Amino acid sequence: MYNTAILFAVSFVSSVTTFYVNEHLKHGPVRSSAMLSLAVGLFFYFFPHLMNSFLVKNIPIVFIGGSFIGMVSSRVLSNYLLIGTAGLIFCLIYINTSRFFNGYGGAVGTASAIALLAVLSLPVVTKRHRLTNGMMLLRKTLFGSPRR
Amino acid sequence: MNRHKTIRTIFIFFLLIIQVVFISEILKENTHSLGIVATMIILSILLLITHLRGEIHHKDHAYEHVLVALWIPAGAFVTFYLNHFLKLGPVLSAAITGSAASFIPNLRKQSHYLQQLPAAIYCGAFIGMSSAGVAPNFLFITTASLFTAILLIISKNLFAGVGGKLGTLAFAGVAITSFLYFLISSYV
Repeated sequence: MYNTAILFAVSFVSSVTTFYVNEHLKHGPVRSSAMLSLAVGLFFYFFPHLMNSFLVKNIPIVFIGGSFIGMVSSRVLSNYLLIGTAGLIFCLIYINTSRFFNGYGGAVGTASAIALLAVLSLPVVTKRHRLTNGMMLLRKTLFGSPRR
Repeated sequence: MNRHKTIRTIFIFFLLIIQVVFISEILKENTHSLGIVATMIILSILLLITHLRGEIHHKDHAYEHVLVALWIPAGAFVTFYLNHFLKLGPVLSAAITGSAASFIPNLRKQSHYLQQLPAAIYCGAFIGMSSAGVAPNFLFITTASLFTAILLIISKNLFAGVGGKLGTLAFAGVAITSFLYFLISSYV
């Protein structure tokens, strides 16, 4: 339970931090994701006994997965809370990911994409970067516009 | 024009299938947990809504240049080498490759071509993250890189700016290659 909570926190922080470095510090998506993941990876490479083996193994993977969400363009999503939410959904998928795909390169990226696309469907961010009523849009998508 | 539209539709449908298969495998292994089953079904519905609304794609279809996609194998080989031969692990290997690639545009800031290379190399790095059980040799990495390169070429304006797109393309390339290897080993 304690370990899982840490992974959720890491995922949230990773996605939000990467987005900040990407969009506000203007380092671009690749450098933001790779450099932050490099810092975390190096930390656990040199200090493998600082935490229990579960966290040492999983924190770098969850961090890089969360950072893929932070690579999102601000034209697509610019709300920090929603980006963090996508990070949490990613962690939920990661924890339950099928053993069938163990060792498949890109599986973490696929989980990130699923989390981000799921978030994009709910409270939709308009082109003016404002939150609109997600439930109204969801109803409109499912049942169409109301008749006049 | 129609050919572009067909390619676009097939690609979007293909990626949706990949994502649905990914979720359904989670469902299959967690049928005992009602919470996970409900969560995955909700996720699938939300995913479908985003795909149906289609606002994540550019209206015009465009193709990535082959010379950009050719850098995918480079990223994959370097990461695979760091991961399996220097034993740095998948995350550190991909992060080193991606970090190095992100500085390539600094070599000549006016070059539009160099600006596109980090994404292609980072996409390749995800292929190199595969474990030895899935990707046993450089031939597998080359084949997976080839499939991923094709997907990158046709998806230039699709899922643009969506985080996880490069990972999904890499996953699709690795999954296709694994399936191909499975077919070959079954019939040869």
